[in-house]
Amino acid sequence: MTGGRQTGRHERLLAFALPVATAIVVALVWQATVTLADIREILLPTPGAIAENLARTLPSLLNQALVTGREALAGFALAVVAGFIGAAAISSSKLLREIFYPAIVAMQLIPKVALAPLFLVFLGIGAEARITFAALLSFFPVLISTAVGLHNTDLTAVRLCRSLGASGWQIFWSVRVPFALPAFFSGARISSTMAVTGVVIAEFISSTDGLGFVIVDQGAHARTAAVFAAITVLCALGLALYGVVAGIEKLSVRWYRG
Amino acid sequence: MDTIAMPLAEAPGGDGGFIRVRNARKVYATGDKSVEALSDVSFDVARGEFVAILGPSGCGKSTLLMMCGGLETSTGGAIEVAGSPMAGPRTSIGIMFQDPTLLPWKTVLQNVMFPAHILRRRDVKYSDRAHRLIDMVGLHGFENKRPHELSGGMRQRVAICRALLNDPDILLMDEPFSALDAITRDEMNEALLDIWRSYAKTALFVTHSIREAVLLADRVLVMTRRPATVVADIRVPFGRPRDMSVAETPEFAKLCAQLRGMIEHGTGKPARRPGDGPVLQPGRLGGEE
Repeated sequence: MTGGRQTGRHERLLAFALPVATAIVVALVWQATVTLADIREILLPTPGAIAENLARTLPSLLNQALVTGREALAGFALAVVAGFIGAAAISSSKLLREIFYPAIVAMQLIPKVALAPLFLVFLGIGAEARITFAALLSFFPVLISTAVGLHNTDLTAVRLCRSLGASGWQIFWSVRVPFALPAFFSGARISSTMAVTGVVIAEFISSTDGLGFVIVDQGAHARTAAVFAAITVLCALGLALYGVVAGIEKLSVRWYRG
Repeated sequence: MDTIAMPLAEAPGGDGGFIRVRNARKVYATGDKSVEALSDVSFDVARGEFVAILGPSGCGKSTLLMMCGGLETSTGGAIEVAGSPMAGPRTSIGIMFQDPTLLPWKTVLQNVMFPAHILRRRDVKYSDRAHRLIDMVGLHGFENKRPHELSGGMRQRVAICRALLNDPDILLMDEPFSALDAITRDEMNEALLDIWRSYAKTALFVTHSIREAVLLADRVLVMTRRPATVVADIRVPFGRPRDMSVAETPEFAKLCAQLRGMIEHGTGKPARRPGDGPVLQPGRLGGEE
């Protein structure tokens, strides 16, 4: 049935073309509105002006992105490791679960952004504070999804392992963890975006470099086009990190399903 | 002649059963309420004997099986296997669950090899055996397929191979075919009879299908709800090797009717008129869970 395959290809093409077309239309409408309504560039620069600024400052912006990206990656890595260990702990012990789970849920409800200044007080204005804050923000999605995944392991599979005389450690690694992988990755994907957010917030408060610093600094000087250029690079950074995690997830799902 | 005692391939060793269950009880305590899942069950299974435990859903037959496999503790009584009391799972006991419980990220061969993986025995002896078992159940050529590429019946065949990998003395089966459609179920029963031809082990087989119990077993233990206990111990008069054709005989139909009567009335006595107007579907007891 070539008809079916053709429809499939059309759909894929459409799925790619439609968002691109939307972006182009938005940019054109934006450009036209700003030009026709004669809005000052300080308030809202045109996409053309932003692109021009971006092209001019790209090397320095990329350097700043490197700083932000490195710290976000460090925070994300910390969160993934800590989240996984935490989830393993609370899913393996009822006592630990009862002690920590209410606190974890409560932490979810706190606007954690409000804690950022405290981290700078505790850890100084260096990278440690920003990384730790990013880790805090991105820790919870990994923790909670992984805990749910570990908890929802096929109970018969656990029984099977027990009937074979498997140790708790063996059951954890050969059954629980693989079963929890999809949940772990859906948490990690959310976490990756949180990590970038965390670093940027910390940079807003106190930093001398990084994209968050650029945004605040240029904003203070009313260089709006430069702010937009930095935001564009920041979006690309967030997407890149998310893309890497989603890619690893795809590989793991392929391994899982065959 | 409803039930005729037939000599078994290996006669039951008098009172020295291979599996001995004595006054086994199981009470689940939930909060301040306690539910009696099993009250006072006693029976013996001889070495090499295939015994079906037949009863409606929720009569505690699966609990009883898991107790024999060391996966559930008993609240009272004693369960002995091969002369020693059950204290926990043993590698000499293979278990098949209602769900095939294959690990989706492993191939057919890796799933069959899973017990060796857990026991950290990865020698050639095990992989040879795994290949032979896979051939035996007719899955040759599927060794590197993943579970999602197999049909329900094929998945249960993989589960049989896995349960037999350690060459267990006892095979415990917990309604292994109840999730399959009627045709596949018949195929699986036939496959199991085939396996038994070359591979006779001691077996306990839990089912709620009368037909399946009579087709497969040397003896059928009938269980009822309230009290959750064994009410009858019926010897199946068909020898081995056995095939699906026994299901066509009048004796088969008669024995099924007799068992149906026992379950309906919840007693060990045959129904007043065995075989008349079944309230339940033939070959089925109660609903699927």
